[in-house]
Amino acid sequence: MVEHTVKAFDEDITRLRGLIAEMGGLAEVAIQQALQALVQGDEELAAEVVERDAKLDALETEVDAMAVRILALRAPMADDLREIVAALKIGGVVERIGDYAKNIAKRVGRIEGRSHFEPLTLLPAMGELAAEMVHDVLTAYAARDPVMAREVIERDDKVDAFYDSIFRNLVSHMVENPATISSAAQLLFVARNLERVGDHATNVAEMVHYSATGTYPDDIER
Amino acid sequence: MVMSETTDSPIANPVNKSLENENIAHGEPKMRARGVDVYYGDKKAIDGVDIDVYTEYVTAFIGPSGCGKSTFLRALNRMNDTIPSARVTGTIELDGEDIYASGMDVVQLRARVGMVFQKPNPFPKSIYDNIAYGPKIHGLAESKPDLDEIVEKSLRRAGLWEEVKDRLADSGTALSGGQQQRLCIARAIAVDPEVILMDEPCSALDPIATAKIEELIDELRGRYGIVIVTHSMQQAARVSQRTAFFHLGHLVEYGHTSDIFTNPAEQRTQDYITGRYG
Repeated sequence: MVEHTVKAFDEDITRLRGLIAEMGGLAEVAIQQALQALVQGDEELAAEVVERDAKLDALETEVDAMAVRILALRAPMADDLREIVAALKIGGVVERIGDYAKNIAKRVGRIEGRSHFEPLTLLPAMGELAAEMVHDVLTAYAARDPVMAREVIERDDKVDAFYDSIFRNLVSHMVENPATISSAAQLLFVARNLERVGDHATNVAEMVHYSATGTYPDDIER
Repeated sequence: MVMSETTDSPIANPVNKSLENENIAHGEPKMRARGVDVYYGDKKAIDGVDIDVYTEYVTAFIGPSGCGKSTFLRALNRMNDTIPSARVTGTIELDGEDIYASGMDVVQLRARVGMVFQKPNPFPKSIYDNIAYGPKIHGLAESKPDLDEIVEKSLRRAGLWEEVKDRLADSGTALSGGQQQRLCIARAIAVDPEVILMDEPCSALDPIATAKIEELIDELRGRYGIVIVTHSMQQAARVSQRTAFFHLGHLVEYGHTSDIFTNPAEQRTQDYITGRYG
């Protein structure tokens, strides 16, 4: 991309993009570790995930402040304007993804008799998919690549399918083993959180597409 | 979905970029330029410009210095006639009438297509006479009360009446810069023009006076066709509904202001408005 005549403007934008990338990395790791903690019953790791979410919150605040500053001082236009608006929104969405990871981590200690749960073997695969979406959408953001963004959006169907399958699995498990309902309900929320992560990654992808092209992917239901 | 298309736009599909796309049109244009070239001697300053100007919309001309936007603006009321080496080809119509036709009364044309300049240039006369001069020479007032009415109406429309009504006999040059510029706009309005051309009307004014002029432009929109040349992208974005980007004598892009500033079609436009030019 051609540089701005005012070099400091490019530095501002680069810094903003760096913050978003850092947020994306943290969110992706948070999902992976929350799932790992869940599967292994590792409450220490879960506590770490919960604690580290504060860093994401702080970064979001920094992104907001930086974006507002750029809007106020640089009066960006066209692709620059879209870039800043997208960064504002993406920052908020990635922070929410972090919240879902934190929520999953918080549930780790509430699951009893984990060896009995078949869905526990499905959840990591679903989590992997969701985390990959987050990873790839941030790569698309870094590359300003609308094609890759669209590809991420299309992957959300798989996450949704996983959710449906885990949901059915858990419900029948609850019917057969009423004693495990409380733990199964926790897993239901975990699955739900991962499904939301997929939706949020999709939102980020839409913003990446908008930032790069000026339009939303129009053939995809929003 | 497209961001922030102005709500006043009657256009169904605002995703419009090119001049060829008829969506840019709304009713009959007030002025229509086709294939306009402007030469200074052998040098071609404007090359094949097609553009329509509408009463409903303020049209902003933007572009780097020397891009031809002021030259083209001056072609719209034949101000270039005063430059001996300047030559205009192609057609420019006002209500379908060729303004470069041999029978065209240029004085009359400039009353119909008025102009406001970068530097406020009131006559060294009273505020009253500044406004009354045009209507008098164009025979628009039958009597003193008629003239009084035109003066008051023009000053009111220019948002200046309340500030000067008690000192109409004072010299126009005694006003502040912003007031002088509004006086010049009132003077342009006084002869009941159809189009007002503004060449950098705020570049010599402070932000408050600028805001007042911009507010005035918005109030005058719909009554007069307004074309404004500005170096301030922010001003073009604030006051206009249509923006034309000129570069090296070419009209690169003409479209909805909201599109031009959020998602321009042409790379050159994008580079210019985002500060990546040259």
